[in-house]
Amino acid sequence: MIDEAVLRDALAAALATGGEFAELYAENRGSTSVRLEDRKVEEVTTGRDRGAGLRVVRGASTAYAYTNRLDRDALLDAAKVAAAALHDAPNAVVRDMTRAPERALNPVLLPPEAVETARKVDAVRAIDDAAREVSGDVRQVIASYAEGAQEILIANSDGMIVADHRVRTRLACTVVAQRDGNVQTGSWNPGASAGFELLDQHPPDQVGRKAAQQAVVMLDATGAPAGEMPVVLAPGGGGVLFHEASGHGLEADLIHKEASVYRDRAGEKIGSELLSAVDDGSVPGLWGSFAYDDEGEPSQRTVLFEKGVLTGAMTDLLRARMMGLPRTGNGRRQSYAHLPIPRMTNSNILPGDDDPEEIIRGVKNGLYAKSFAGGQVNTATGDFVFGLSEAYVISNGELTRPVRGANLIGNGPEVIARIDAVGHDFEVWWGVCGKEGQGVPVTCGMPTVRIARITVGGTG
Amino acid sequence: MSDTADLLELARRAVDAARKGESVEAYASWGRETEVKVYAGEVEALVSAESRGVGVRVISDGKLGYAYAADPDPGELAEVVEQARTNAALSTADDGNVLPGPQPIEPLPGILLPDLLAATPEEKVELAFAIERACREADPRVKGVESAQYGEGLGRVAVVSTTGVEASAERGDCWAAAVALASDGGAETQTGFGLQIARRPADLAVEAAGREAAERGVRLLGARKPPTGRMPVMLDPFAAASFLGVVTAGLSAESVLKGRSLFAGRIGESVASEHVRLVDDGRELAGPGAEPFDGEGVPTRRTPLIEDGILRGFLHNTYTAARMNAVSTGNASRAGFKSTPGVSTTNLILSPGTETPEKLAAGVGRALLVQDLIGVHSGANPISGDFSVGVNGMILDGGVPAEPVREATIASTILEILTNVIAVGNDLRFLPFGGSIGTPTILIGEMTVAGT
Repeated sequence: MIDEAVLRDALAAALATGGEFAELYAENRGSTSVRLEDRKVEEVTTGRDRGAGLRVVRGASTAYAYTNRLDRDALLDAAKVAAAALHDAPNAVVRDMTRAPERALNPVLLPPEAVETARKVDAVRAIDDAAREVSGDVRQVIASYAEGAQEILIANSDGMIVADHRVRTRLACTVVAQRDGNVQTGSWNPGASAGFELLDQHPPDQVGRKAAQQAVVMLDATGAPAGEMPVVLAPGGGGVLFHEASGHGLEADLIHKEASVYRDRAGEKIGSELLSAVDDGSVPGLWGSFAYDDEGEPSQRTVLFEKGVLTGAMTDLLRARMMGLPRTGNGRRQSYAHLPIPRMTNSNILPGDDDPEEIIRGVKNGLYAKSFAGGQVNTATGDFVFGLSEAYVISNGELTRPVRGANLIGNGPEVIARIDAVGHDFEVWWGVCGKEGQGVPVTCGMPTVRIARITVGGTG
Repeated sequence: MSDTADLLELARRAVDAARKGESVEAYASWGRETEVKVYAGEVEALVSAESRGVGVRVISDGKLGYAYAADPDPGELAEVVEQARTNAALSTADDGNVLPGPQPIEPLPGILLPDLLAATPEEKVELAFAIERACREADPRVKGVESAQYGEGLGRVAVVSTTGVEASAERGDCWAAAVALASDGGAETQTGFGLQIARRPADLAVEAAGREAAERGVRLLGARKPPTGRMPVMLDPFAAASFLGVVTAGLSAESVLKGRSLFAGRIGESVASEHVRLVDDGRELAGPGAEPFDGEGVPTRRTPLIEDGILRGFLHNTYTAARMNAVSTGNASRAGFKSTPGVSTTNLILSPGTETPEKLAAGVGRALLVQDLIGVHSGANPISGDFSVGVNGMILDGGVPAEPVREATIASTILEILTNVIAVGNDLRFLPFGGSIGTPTILIGEMTVAGT
């Protein structure tokens, strides 16, 4: 994408006014998306975006300049703009550059750009048809297909050069169902770091049916019970709770800013004996996976909890340096227009030994939380409130009626201490995690997990 | 750097590739932004950005296709048009897919002041430090400044189409913002936000932004949950802008067409009290949303939405106008060259009254002055109209501050609140919340304020 001599000159220009570290991140991204609503293919869009960002760091100061031209003049201009934010100090030098080995992590069997757009439109129509077949109560279906192919090149003044090629595809469906003035929505949005073969694992008709079934089943929902009770988290979707209530607090920038309840607690047994959890960006093919992070560090498996003991934090380059921690390959950014920050990749609670059905059978009166809506977490205290978009009452060990309007109210460290059963099953949920205005693809994975007691805010 | 002639040339080249029977439109844009954030006397981050690109719509037999590219070379530009053409063939035909014709466009002198661009990076950093200093020095109870920021943006666009549109324009503005951390020395910390906007740094009241953040934080010290009770509620311009941001969602014809507007089918009906006069005005230069033309090259204008409480109309782009047999109001919005035109406000303005907010407050006995609405994102539903949010502010007694309040909630509906407006102040102010909203203080009749 850019000559090595140009990279070196741009990094040198960036360091010219006293920077300690300089980095150039360039990307070239092609994308295609198809969107259907109201039975109409409303939009078929193809786009090419490219650009480069130059970052200069000195102490706690960061300057960043980006441009969507990749020629020498534009890159040197951006470097000078970034450098102008710093001044009056001896400057560092650009070390000899070594290109990191190519790392093919995510196999792409069917490159999406080689597949005719008409097949992508067919997929979206198949989602729509299948969703509408589920029930006459389905009023609206919004279905989409999206693919992105991203070439990245990262070089820094430590002499590192890394190139990576990332391909992602995703199907998404949101269904609105209505009966007697009662409106409910359901959605199912699988994605992968893979090509068009995503559709073999997640056939479009199945995607439409799953979204529609969720919306339709919730039409029968009645008020949720309230009070403290055992709650069983469904595999996959329940992982959102761990991601939000514990995962974010283990991102090193929040720990550094004293905005994490987990600060200074490494080595302490915080969770239940049954809890082992990792963040792992190196699982081939997963939606949150990549070969190298957006600062050039290979993705890896980072153990966050080992049998309840807090063992790790997720770092980016700057936080690792400032805090004396190892780099974990969690430095991510939405695009060349954003600074990298510590982010989760695929955050998983590891499977245990319990039979999922036995876990439910062990509950006399409780709640089964299948899918999460929005929520709020205070990472400094760990307090959270989460809405449930699909949940069922457990009565005498059996799943019974669906409920709506249920909230889970609790505290991250307290809740993970109260895990009293972990299933031997495992599923993942796909999302786009937002932080500081940047969205990045992530998955949350987990088995069936039971929390001995948690406050359910219901409607009675 | 890319001037408007260069953007026009880029857009023309794309449109020149149109084939017989096709409608083609190219939207080319260029922008440069700088943002400086300082913390504790050090530059925490300086971000400078430059971007240029083009987005092309091809409409053929009522079918729409879109493609875009960042900074394309001539070969890539031809590819963009070809991709949009291929995409059009795959979409569903829709009578609404039409391009506007040419209309005369009046320029807006003053929308870009030459000296906006004069400041050096060092001067921009100094402006951010000035905001931070003003905030810290405004009150001894300011224990820290969570962030102090200076930002500026310059943008140029050109729209060219086979239907005869050929328009170009440029705009620029700058802003100063601060978040103060106030404390009396105990464990309690209150935050306050301050903001100023202008068209050039010389007109930007940077110290005022810092002082405002300090005042808004300090006055909440000692705030408690109030006892539950009914009282009139005043929304200051910050809180009023958050509220109006929810109202506007229902005033777009796009939300009407998609069944997401609580105002659908109510034109000519009373939806608010007689004190509510709401317009969208893309030609009001005092508001940061001013533009001479919209994202399709249709001139902007003043569009009455609610007059003396009566719903008068919706905001349209060319698509919604064609679908609803109306005229585009010049409200086609683009999120840059990567997006097709949507519908959004330019400057949404609630017309001010004649009385100061202090005078209004003095006339209503015990009232709650709200300075922040909390949880608007989850607690306000622009479709159903339910409005249940947290509030921070001050109980006033005969207009005099009595006690600061936090963690109270108000629960109502959007229509109930609009109908219950008993006066508006004369303190019109533009805030860049969700576009640009200009609003004075709003006084609402008795509502239940839930606390302890």
